[in-house]
Amino acid sequence: MSKRILSALNYPQAESLNLNDEATFRRIIAWLEINIIKQAPNVIANNLKNITARDWDEIYNRYKDSLGCPPVGSKLEELQWILGYAAQIETNDNRSLYLKHAVENMKSKNVPDVVAENPLDKLNFRSNEFVDGVNELAKILNTVPHPDPLITLRAVRKVIVKRMAPDCVEHAEKYIVKGTPFPFEEHALGFDLKDPVLNRAAKIMRMIYIQDLRELQTRANELIVAVQNITANPKTDTKLGKVGY
Amino acid sequence: MVVRQYQQELEYLEKISSYCWRIKKGFQPNMRVEGVFYVNQTLEKLMLDELRNACRPGMVGGFLPGVKQIANVAALPGIVGKSVGLPDVHSGYGFAIGNMAAFDVNDPESIVSPGGVGFDINCGVRLLRTNLYESDVLPVKEQLAQSLFDHIPVGVGSKGIIPMNARDLEEALEMGMDWSLREGYIWAEDKEHCEEYGRMLNADPAKVSMRAKKRGLPQVIFFSKKSFYCPFLFHGIKVYIYELDEIYDKWAACKMGIEEKGQICVMIHSGSRGFGHQVATDALVQMEKAMKRDNIETNDRQLACARISSVEGQDYLKSMAAAANFAWVNRSSMTFLSRQAFAKQFNMAPDDLDMHVIYDVSHNIAKVEEHLVDGKPKTLLVHRKGSTRAFPPHHPLIPVDYQLTGQPVLIGGTMGTCSYVLTGTEQGMFETFGSTCHGAGRALSRAKSRRNIDYTDVLQKLEYMGISIRVASPKLVMEEAPESYKNVTDVVNTCHAAGISKKCIKLRPIAVIKG
Repeated sequence: MSKRILSALNYPQAESLNLNDEATFRRIIAWLEINIIKQAPNVIANNLKNITARDWDEIYNRYKDSLGCPPVGSKLEELQWILGYAAQIETNDNRSLYLKHAVENMKSKNVPDVVAENPLDKLNFRSNEFVDGVNELAKILNTVPHPDPLITLRAVRKVIVKRMAPDCVEHAEKYIVKGTPFPFEEHALGFDLKDPVLNRAAKIMRMIYIQDLRELQTRANELIVAVQNITANPKTDTKLGKVGY
Repeated sequence: MVVRQYQQELEYLEKISSYCWRIKKGFQPNMRVEGVFYVNQTLEKLMLDELRNACRPGMVGGFLPGVKQIANVAALPGIVGKSVGLPDVHSGYGFAIGNMAAFDVNDPESIVSPGGVGFDINCGVRLLRTNLYESDVLPVKEQLAQSLFDHIPVGVGSKGIIPMNARDLEEALEMGMDWSLREGYIWAEDKEHCEEYGRMLNADPAKVSMRAKKRGLPQVIFFSKKSFYCPFLFHGIKVYIYELDEIYDKWAACKMGIEEKGQICVMIHSGSRGFGHQVATDALVQMEKAMKRDNIETNDRQLACARISSVEGQDYLKSMAAAANFAWVNRSSMTFLSRQAFAKQFNMAPDDLDMHVIYDVSHNIAKVEEHLVDGKPKTLLVHRKGSTRAFPPHHPLIPVDYQLTGQPVLIGGTMGTCSYVLTGTEQGMFETFGSTCHGAGRALSRAKSRRNIDYTDVLQKLEYMGISIRVASPKLVMEEAPESYKNVTDVVNTCHAAGISKKCIKLRPIAVIKG
């Protein structure tokens, strides 16, 4: 893994390095600081470059602490962390370049990005007019109002985003969750709060949590598929197959 | 070691419920915790007969019965809770097969033992569903079996049709199923329905010997230009086509996408084979040295082990993880080939056949897990040998789709008998560190099966039962004959009745491909 990151960062001859070798390790650290991380004062950077210095380890320890490297046990793991840090900086520096190739952007490249001024910023959220308006809105949308109008507003916003967007109204079937209903009330919660109302509330929380988790997993899967579109090339060669000797 | 009469031995065993026995301290020397095993009446008889045979005069120093092996494991340093024997337990190398034991990672004395994982590291089962029914498959059953047999080369010396070179192997060892995903052999959804998401993160290919890697390359799914010899074949590859026979838990089955009787499923059973065997053999050599150095004493030489924190212990865990990743790549490649075979036969895309992975379980593995011990959370290294993880509903390590039902547990039967899918329970989490049985469990050794069983009889019987079969060699038919195994229904019913897992569905085989 470390070698792959090194070669991605264009470290010379990254493939053939022996990371357990102290001198190589020192050279890599110095190279990373000078070429990519560039955060240490000149004095420290120069000291890191002097890989044969006796107090190199001490300087290195101060340096890695200044980067915020957590205590991780071995030097190799520290290197892994610092490499990750360097890769992050490198990616951030070339953000616009990578974003151009990001999967989402390949689809919607031609849509101009317009940031409008947000009229809500100027509202007085505590005025009666605002409270009444939000409660009225909640009533229309069948949402239970919360004493804090801002929370009610968030609930209302969720309903609108999920169900009232133009695409949702036109193609409702796409957004209504399909599947077999599951009798969650009969299922064990895993713990008992000794109060049926609380238990029910806990169950509902669990269901919402599971739904969130599902959404997250689906997005992770979509990401994998997007990457597969670039990397995947499954090969088979039936000529190679052979049963027995 | 003390020699006792059978009746004297029985004094150390106590039946604590209809399905559970306790092994008291003193049954074997230096037991640190008690042992426990789960059996019903039939299995109980098998278990005690084995002990009685071992007690006959002249049997001293011979092979150890399973119940003695469970007790020997209870004497290993750092063990917590109890040494658990599952209903399919039978004697194995050091640890019995069907034995689970957990060791406290934070106890400096605690050990890891390759015998507690087994030689076929991460041998496991994967179940795919389809939207086909018996009526779709029956007319083309023979063609389908042949097509699977052609697509998935099985048996010693076979070569796979997925090209792979040494560099690919290194990457696959490190990445596990992520390698298969990257190369496009499997679907993104496959990963989430797999124990550990199909990748042990601590895998380090550098810790695996050259010899193991050479034994890994030519195997089964892989091809290399130089042909290496692979002498060991412990748990061959098995691919079964099943029809759904019975549903016990409608809602859990529904979460797995299984709805009606007659629905067709595909089960893939394989491990890391010669590769894992070499990893284990290499580790055993290292550990014998470590035991001398650290003064670790065990009741049985086969229980070679090393402290978890020692170099040998860590090296083994890293190479074991690499072997586990190898096994996942193996099963993933077979998933790919099975999907292709079905797609070709039915002239439809695997997507349209809904060939999703229901779940993928590991039978032979050691994993670091969090468990409650006497009400306190502890980090344990859980050895499961011939035992399946069975986590309860709402456990954070099981896929989101099974949060309400508990983890699916796939129990492969034999060639002629049924297979089951169970789900994990709270009680199992509490009693057996979330573990349950793994299959039928051998009743006859492989050698004994070959002596006692005629393969033509077995084939005839399978034909009579309507099961198509393709095997790499007749020897396997005898070794894997249903008569060689304990009755899987007994095993599963014991787990269900003891509450350590819950029956969900039963599958009946209609075709078997074996190598």
